[in-house]
Amino acid sequence: MNTPPTSPQPHRGLGLALVTGSSSGIGRAIAVRLARDGFKVMVHYHQNAKGAEETLALIRDLEGALPPESLQFDVRNPEEIEKALEPYKDISILINNSGIHKDNLTGLMSNSAFDEVIKTNLYGPFYLMRWCVRQMMRHRRGCIVNVSSLAGQTGNPGQINYSASKAALIAMTKTLSFEVGSRGIRVNAVAPGLIETEMTESIPQVAEMVKRIPLQRMGTAQEVAGAVSFLCSKDASYITGHTLSVNGGMFPS
Amino acid sequence: MTNPKIITKVNSVMHQGFEIPLEKLTPEATLFTDLGLDSLDAVDMLVHLEENIGIKVDGEKLMSVRTLQDVYTLVDELSSQPGVEAKLEH
Ligand SMILES: NC(=O)c1ccc[n+]([C@@H]2O[C@H](COP(=O)([O-])OP(=O)(O)OC[C@H]3O[C@@H](n4cnc5c(N)ncnc54)[C@H](OP(=O)(O)O)[C@@H]3O)[C@@H](O)[C@H]2O)c1
Repeated sequence: MNTPPTSPQPHRGLGLALVTGSSSGIGRAIAVRLARDGFKVMVHYHQNAKGAEETLALIRDLEGALPPESLQFDVRNPEEIEKALEPYKDISILINNSGIHKDNLTGLMSNSAFDEVIKTNLYGPFYLMRWCVRQMMRHRRGCIVNVSSLAGQTGNPGQINYSASKAALIAMTKTLSFEVGSRGIRVNAVAPGLIETEMTESIPQVAEMVKRIPLQRMGTAQEVAGAVSFLCSKDASYITGHTLSVNGGMFPS
Repeated sequence: MTNPKIITKVNSVMHQGFEIPLEKLTPEATLFTDLGLDSLDAVDMLVHLEENIGIKVDGEKLMSVRTLQDVYTLVDELSSQPGVEAKLEH
């Protein structure tokens, strides 16, 4: 445990980081990366306890990483969030990564598919940001990164609910950055394009889509995590309200 | 009449949380002009009141508060919430 870190840890001492939805995919990569950077990480999950356990194990295997904690709540439920976070009022980093998609053409989409995506991807981050800024303001520091999506920047057929939620997340990022900048809190977003995860493995047209990416490949969860790590670092200390695209050039911005 | 314990407690929150000199803390003082708070400070106040007095304040209610007396009254109204009595004793 007390062995010195092998890599430089620029964020050590900066404190506690919550990564929502770090039981799999991109969230897991972000949690592991922030732990490697030297944050104390709270691994959060909703239903996949086993997945969270795997993320915790990956972090425990990192030499010199601070021992991670694990947290369970449904991002759609503000009371559950407040109860679970009660012991963590010294939070300094929030990564809103939890998100779902329920795709269909607009003409075929059910009310529930629309509601569920908006509740998870939009209400969830709002509840979390509200709770976190209250705490962060007192400490006059904090950093929030919202995981949006290319679909939120460009729109995407079959994702009217998802693209709306992800565009709204970018708008919330901008608004909150205005509100809390004077208290030393930065709020940014990342907008991943096509990222290799279990989710994208199942898309039949992937090969076709890759041809349209200037860098000619899908991105990795680690590459998204790298962008998040940068936004949380001292190097990004003058960046707020920004959305960083991680998309291989699909949508130059 | 506001419970004097509430007045003392709220004043100590304002003094310690926002570094406002005690002599400025009069019931008729307005938060935003006399005491120099801004709307973001209201968010801080919500957290301070919760932590020090144990009351859960509705953020929208707090935005309608104008004077320090309004804060006393609001806290008084909410002081029947569980656990508040004990916190007022300290
Ligand atoms: N993969 C891509 O190509 C891509 C591209 C752009 C943006 N994104 C965004 O990146 C983020 C992560 O995506 P991913 O591909 O890594 O997805 P994923 O593997 O399906 O992970 C989604 C995470 O969200 C959590 N979650 C879902 N519903 C929740 C709820 N109600 N309350 C709390 N947590 C909940 C899940 O928790 P449990 O499993 O524990 O229930 C899981 O950890 C999402 O916001 C997604 O929209 C992904």
